[in-house]
Amino acid sequence: MTPRPWLHGFLDLCLLAMLRDQPDYGYGLAQRLAAAGVADIPGGTLYPALLRLEQQGLASPSWAPSGSGPRRKYYAITPAGLDTLNAQAEEWRGFRDGVDALIGERVR
Amino acid sequence: MSDWPLRFEAELVRLGVRPERARQLGAETAAQAGEHAADPDRFFGPAHLYARHLVTELQAPTAAVPSLPGPVMLRLTGVSKRYRRREVFSGVDLTVRGGEVAAIVGANGCGKSTLLRICAGLTHPTGGDVRRTRRVGFVPQDGGTAGWLTAEEHFTLFGAAAGMAPRKARSTGTHLASRLAWRPGRHQPVQDLSGGTRQKLNLVLGELHGPDLLLLDEPYQGFDQGSYLDFWRQVREWRDAGRAVVVVTHLLHELEDVDHVLDLGAHGGGDR
Repeated sequence: MTPRPWLHGFLDLCLLAMLRDQPDYGYGLAQRLAAAGVADIPGGTLYPALLRLEQQGLASPSWAPSGSGPRRKYYAITPAGLDTLNAQAEEWRGFRDGVDALIGERVR
Repeated sequence: MSDWPLRFEAELVRLGVRPERARQLGAETAAQAGEHAADPDRFFGPAHLYARHLVTELQAPTAAVPSLPGPVMLRLTGVSKRYRRREVFSGVDLTVRGGEVAAIVGANGCGKSTLLRICAGLTHPTGGDVRRTRRVGFVPQDGGTAGWLTAEEHFTLFGAAAGMAPRKARSTGTHLASRLAWRPGRHQPVQDLSGGTRQKLNLVLGELHGPDLLLLDEPYQGFDQGSYLDFWRQVREWRDAGRAVVVVTHLLHELEDVDHVLDLGAHGGGDR
């Protein structure tokens, strides 16, 4: 997958949406983003974004041991995170519909 | 075991992160690379550069709220310059703090480059007072590079002048170049580079040692449109990371985004 310059603006939205479905840690979120076909996200983009969500109180961290490697930092969405998710999802739909309308059906 | 987490922590502290928070971030970052079974150096890149990146990223949300001005990095008080009987400018006052961008504008020949050299301490003013922070990066309009050396050799040489180890200077230089969409050729002497790419080299050399005050003399001449946008994005990133930037420019449409505009045309003795 090529890097998508516009992903940066919607990365928080994608992360919050995944955390709404279930709490997860960084590596798991990276896998889910890739599996969804959204992006192969570099660690230098993913982890600062997670820390930012934590700082803003949109996701709350907890540590859990892992079977093999070092312990993992799991993130769960907070009520404030849910509010942000809903607002950003609304923005995204407006943006997506606008771009779809511009592209039109003919290019398909 | 690599000393990546230690170097990462040290750079965070240098950038103003509290030591205990830096230690925590260092441990977490090492664990994150561990999740991917990767070495932090390969996963995140050079420690000090990832530290700068992380600090910028974490400061981003507060950028919407006007943040408190940083410490004063440059202060000019009543600065004047005269060549024999010709007064170039006089009575120039300018204060630039960390997290601010200042633009020096004015017609050709009004002394913009001279004033920037005075800011850098490369030219003596005829009168007035200049105070500046210790760590300064200066990017001239052109020149300043040696045609028969490669880009990597420049990184090593300029790094050595700032007390950096050769390997660190090279990896920093290569990384900074990539942010301007430039990958230096290993064996290519600088004289074979285009004018725009030589300017990118100057920009990288000015930032190599992580200065607190960046002085830039129209460093984008010869850039194509993409590089030109990269340049201004870079200026905003420097500002958001708490650095002070002074840029000489004649492009007035860029001025909406800067904190101070110094119009030298208004201070000059003019051409005569």
